[in-house]
Amino acid sequence: MNRRKFIQQGMVAGSALVAGSLLPEQLLATDNPYQLTILHTNDVHSRLDPFPMDGGRNQGMGGVAARAVLIQKIRQEQSQVLLLDAGDIFQGTPYFNIYKGEPEIKAMTMMGYDACTMGNHDFDGGIENFATQLQHAKFPVLMANYDFSGTALEMKTKPYQIFQKGKVKVGVFGIGIELEGLVPENLYGKTIYQDPIVAANKTATMLKKKGCDLVICLSHLGDKYDDGKVSDEILAKESYDIDLIIGGHTHRFFEKPRKYSNKRQKEVLVNQVGWAGIQLGRMDYKFSSFDNSKTADSKSIFIGNISAK
Amino acid sequence: MRFYSKLVYFGTLVLFFGCSHKLQTNSVDFVDYQISKSAPVDSTMVRFLNPYGSKMQATMGKVIGISKQGLSKKQPESAIGNFMSDAMKASAEKVFNKQVDAAFVNYGGVRSYFPKGDITIGLVYELMPFDNLVVLQQLSGTLLQQLLDKTAVDGGWPVSGISMEIKDKKAVKVMIAGKPLDPLTTYTIANSDYVANGGSDCPFLKPIPQENKGYTLRDALIDQIQRMTAAGKTIDAELENRVTLSKD
Repeated sequence: MNRRKFIQQGMVAGSALVAGSLLPEQLLATDNPYQLTILHTNDVHSRLDPFPMDGGRNQGMGGVAARAVLIQKIRQEQSQVLLLDAGDIFQGTPYFNIYKGEPEIKAMTMMGYDACTMGNHDFDGGIENFATQLQHAKFPVLMANYDFSGTALEMKTKPYQIFQKGKVKVGVFGIGIELEGLVPENLYGKTIYQDPIVAANKTATMLKKKGCDLVICLSHLGDKYDDGKVSDEILAKESYDIDLIIGGHTHRFFEKPRKYSNKRQKEVLVNQVGWAGIQLGRMDYKFSSFDNSKTADSKSIFIGNISAK
Repeated sequence: MRFYSKLVYFGTLVLFFGCSHKLQTNSVDFVDYQISKSAPVDSTMVRFLNPYGSKMQATMGKVIGISKQGLSKKQPESAIGNFMSDAMKASAEKVFNKQVDAAFVNYGGVRSYFPKGDITIGLVYELMPFDNLVVLQQLSGTLLQQLLDKTAVDGGWPVSGISMEIKDKKAVKVMIAGKPLDPLTTYTIANSDYVANGGSDCPFLKPIPQENKGYTLRDALIDQIQRMTAAGKTIDAELENRVTLSKD
């Protein structure tokens, strides 16, 4: 889908809504039960307001009030939407220092997030604080490789969640980064970090066996490193049943989703959208019963002001 | 449990043989939406944020200094890094009431920058959002070299009191207190407790005893800004070739 086509679609859907009736063609186009729209963020870092207009590189960008409008607009156009976050919700603006994450989690609930995983900075107020702020979350926190036994988060996170979206069954799970040396020990407490590749493969295979058509890993490992440290790239190559890794931690703005070949020589996609809510990522998956090919659109589409239309 | 696994097995059979629409991914279209400053905003969300924001602004909006040039972040050396490490060293000397040979800020701990113009408390919180404490450690010249080599691997950390070059991921031509680094001398080094406790992959610092007054790095920055402002200075810093890439 190119930019022009997208804008046209958006405008048609918008004016149809104003007129109070949708054309049947439009309904068909947007109500396809074999299509899933994945929206995603990562490393938002308490950036509730846009960056201030101070001459900085990111001035005026981001902010939950603008993101909420964009998400609502896409939900009006697409019937099957999953909204996901790959961690580091907390820390970075004084909102977090003062309110300890309450407005961040409440805003995510208002926007209708379906699930998130935890990043290292989500421990910054202490593990007890994260557990406390979860009272404001109407979405699950997914963690498949942290053992929270004996901590405030015990039984408060889930390894995975299965979503039925139209005809598509989607399994989503979360993978966190090694905490030792990254997060002060007094903040993560008795949390035990488990091998992310082992945990991810076990969870993904189980989700496929449960009949999931698409398995998504929310990862805070980071996209890749020079020194061979475990990353989304390594996880993708070492995986068997993951279809998509939505990553974070390294604050990387991908030009397009990266493709890797897994242990079964099947394609795994990895995507990440920088940080601070400057971007909202969108991936539209189209499914069929017969076609075995799986290709990502290789066009790099960067839409500047579509949300302003 | 036996019965349960049989049931699961049966379910799988149905899925593969009885169920005709096992789905395959056909195509993926993507787009990264830029949330630009002209984007429309959701009024419900604005109303929700307002009370949080206005209460926050009351404490965070206070102007404590003015920057003429602005201070930006880069490697191997930057204006904001020099300001932070100098503030850490100067404030530590006052709070601990002793001479400090050098102060470090891990590069990953520099979370923002200072724009030109008003410097508010809120900007200091964005620059240093963590409640990290300033601690002192007595390091041998050998251990200090190990720390400097770690900063070289990272491409250069903000440092005050030291000049060095980075060559093949090692710190070379290290000068401290006006003299070449001596492996046998003991130096008084200020770090954040995060680094001193082994963070930023510095496990070799963990066994070294710490002197700690519960003084946050953020307070060290705020105190320095207030001292500079009181002295009639703007909040600016120069590049001084503290950390350079070796041309050898």
